[in-house]
Amino acid sequence: MRVTRELVIEVPPEALWPILWDVPRMAACLPGCAEAQEVIPHSRYRARMTQKVGPISLSVPLDVEILAAEPPRHLALSARGRDPLVGAEISMRVTIDCEAVGTGARLSIGAEGQVLGKLGGLGQGIIQRKAEEALDEFGRRLARAATGEASG
Amino acid sequence: MIRPFDLRRPTALGEVGALLGEYGDAAALYAGGTELLLLMKEGFVRPRVLVDVKCVPGLDRVTAVAGGIEIGATASHRSVERSEAVRAHAPLVAGVARHVANVRVRAVGTVGGNLAFADPHSDLATLFLVFDARVVLWSLAGERELPLADFVLGPYETARRDDEILTAVRLRPWHAGAAGTYLKFGVHERPTLGVAAVLTLEADGQTVADARLALGCIGPRPQRLGVLETRLCGTPIADIAQSRTGVTDGAADAIDTLTDLHGSADYKREMAQVFLRRALRLAASRAMGQPVDARYPHTVVC
Amino acid sequence: MSHDIALTVNGRRVEVHVPVHALLLDVLRDRLDLKGAKRSCDLQVCGACTVLVDGAPVSACTYLAVEADGHEVLTVEGLGSPGALHPLQQSFIDHGAVQCGFCTSGMLLSAVALLDEEPSPTEADVMHHLRGNLCRCTGYRKIVDAILACAATAP
Repeated sequence: MRVTRELVIEVPPEALWPILWDVPRMAACLPGCAEAQEVIPHSRYRARMTQKVGPISLSVPLDVEILAAEPPRHLALSARGRDPLVGAEISMRVTIDCEAVGTGARLSIGAEGQVLGKLGGLGQGIIQRKAEEALDEFGRRLARAATGEASG
Repeated sequence: MIRPFDLRRPTALGEVGALLGEYGDAAALYAGGTELLLLMKEGFVRPRVLVDVKCVPGLDRVTAVAGGIEIGATASHRSVERSEAVRAHAPLVAGVARHVANVRVRAVGTVGGNLAFADPHSDLATLFLVFDARVVLWSLAGERELPLADFVLGPYETARRDDEILTAVRLRPWHAGAAGTYLKFGVHERPTLGVAAVLTLEADGQTVADARLALGCIGPRPQRLGVLETRLCGTPIADIAQSRTGVTDGAADAIDTLTDLHGSADYKREMAQVFLRRALRLAASRAMGQPVDARYPHTVVC
Repeated sequence: MSHDIALTVNGRRVEVHVPVHALLLDVLRDRLDLKGAKRSCDLQVCGACTVLVDGAPVSACTYLAVEADGHEVLTVEGLGSPGALHPLQQSFIDHGAVQCGFCTSGMLLSAVALLDEEPSPTEADVMHHLRGNLCRCTGYRKIVDAILACAATAP
C-alpha cells in the first residue's frame, strides 16, 4: 500500500517544523491516532491507532521510531503494531517533506507499508482508500496547526 | 471461535429500539447471520448483545404496494425469489434473488441484512438502484426513509444510526413498457461485477425515452450512471441493440473502482465498459420485443 | 450464556444444553457424534457442512445451534440406513459420484432438498442448485448424473 499527498500551506517550513518535531502533537493530527507517548525523546514513541471500517473496529498499539530528521525539510518515521483481537498487523513508513515555496511551503506526505493478517485480506482497496482519507485529513490538520501557530 | 454474547429475541420493534438504545454499538442486529456470524467467527466484531429480529412480526413480509414492491428486512432471498408479488411486479428482482450467493445463503440470509451490511459486492444493492429504492429506518425517535443511494455510504458503511433498525426496502415500479436486465459476472462466491440496465422507449418505439443504469461490486459502493443515462435518451434503440452506437464509449472512465482480490481497479473499469455494452444490448433487445439469448463466460444473465 | 434446546435430529428428539455461541456444526459433530457434516471452508461457501433444517439447506458452520431449537434437522446419517440406502445414496454409488467423499454428505443433502421441492429437475436446475457445493475430485459430472437418474427413476 502506498499513498502520497501534497498540499500547500501558507507558512514557511520553519513554522511547521516545531509541530512535526513535537511528535505526540504531530501524531494527534492523524485521525484515529491518540495518546502518543515519548519513550526516547525524538527517537521512539508509542501511540495507539484506532480506525473503523463499517462494523469492524481496529485498535493497534504502535511502536514509532524516528528514522531521519533534517529540520526543517524532512522527517521520516516508521510505525509498527498488531491488533491481536482483529488479527491485523500494521507496518508503515511515513515521510514528511516540506519545501519552501514563496512565503509558504509545499508539504509532501508519503505513507508506504502493509496491513497484514486477516484484516489485510478483507480488501486492500478499502485499506488504501482509508489510508488516503486519513492522510488527507492529516495534511489538513497539520496545515491548520501550522498556520494557527504562526498567527497565534 | 465466536465469543459468548447475550442473545435477545424481542417480539416488537419497541423492544428492539429499547435494546439498541441501551447497548448502542455493543449490540448487533441479527437475522440470518450469514454476514454477521462470519465476522464474529473471525473476531472482527465482538458484540456483547445479539438482537435477534426474526421474531418481530411483519418484518419479513413481501408485498406489492402501488405497483411497486415493499420487501421487509427479514425476508429471505429465497422468499423474494418465490414471492408472487415480486414475480408479478418486479420479475427481474426475483430472477436476481435466485442467484444471490448459494442456495444455503438464500434460505437463511435476508435482504435487509444484505443491504445493512453494505458489502461492496452485492447484487441487490446494485439492482435496487434502478428501482429508485428507498430504505425505511425505524427507531424509538421515529421512522425515516432514505434513498438507497444515500443509505449505502461506502464499503460496509451505511447511514444507519446505532439506535436504528432497517425495517424495509421499497422499490418503485418502472415506466410502462420498460425492459431491463441484470448481468452478474465473476468466478468467486461474491460477484466481481454487477450491472443493471433498464430502458423505456418513446411512443414511436424507435428511440430511448428513459434509461437507468447501475454498476456495482467494482467500487466502494454501487452507482447509478446519471451522465450516461442522459446521453442514452434519444438514442435509436436499434443502434443500442446492435452495439452500433458509441454512446457508451468512455462511460467507464469516471467510474470509481477499487482493487481487491477480484481484480485491479483498471481491470474492473475495463470490465465495466464491456458489461455496460452487453447489458444495454440485452435491455434494448428486450425493449424491442426481440429478446436475445445472450451467454457470456462466467456471467449470470437475469 | 447457555441454552437448553430441544430439536429433532434425523427423526429422533434430542435435548442438549449448548452455549449460545455454539455453531450447529460443532454440536452435531462433537455433542451428537454425527460426523457426516464436515468443516471445510468454514465460510459457508463450499457446502461440505450442509444440513437441512426443516427441509431447507443451511451451512451448519455459520448457523447458531440455538436456531435449531424446536426444528427438524436432517444430516446425512438420517438418509436411509446401513442396510437400506436412500435412493440418492445408491445412485451416487452406481454412478461413481463419490471419490474422497468429503463433499458427499453436503451434495446428498442439497440434492434431497432439491428433489423434495422439484421431483423432476432439469440438468440446469441441478447445476444451479449445487452451485454452492464444491467438489475437488469428481468434476461434478457424475454427481449431476446420479441426481438426475435418481429423479428419473423415482416412483
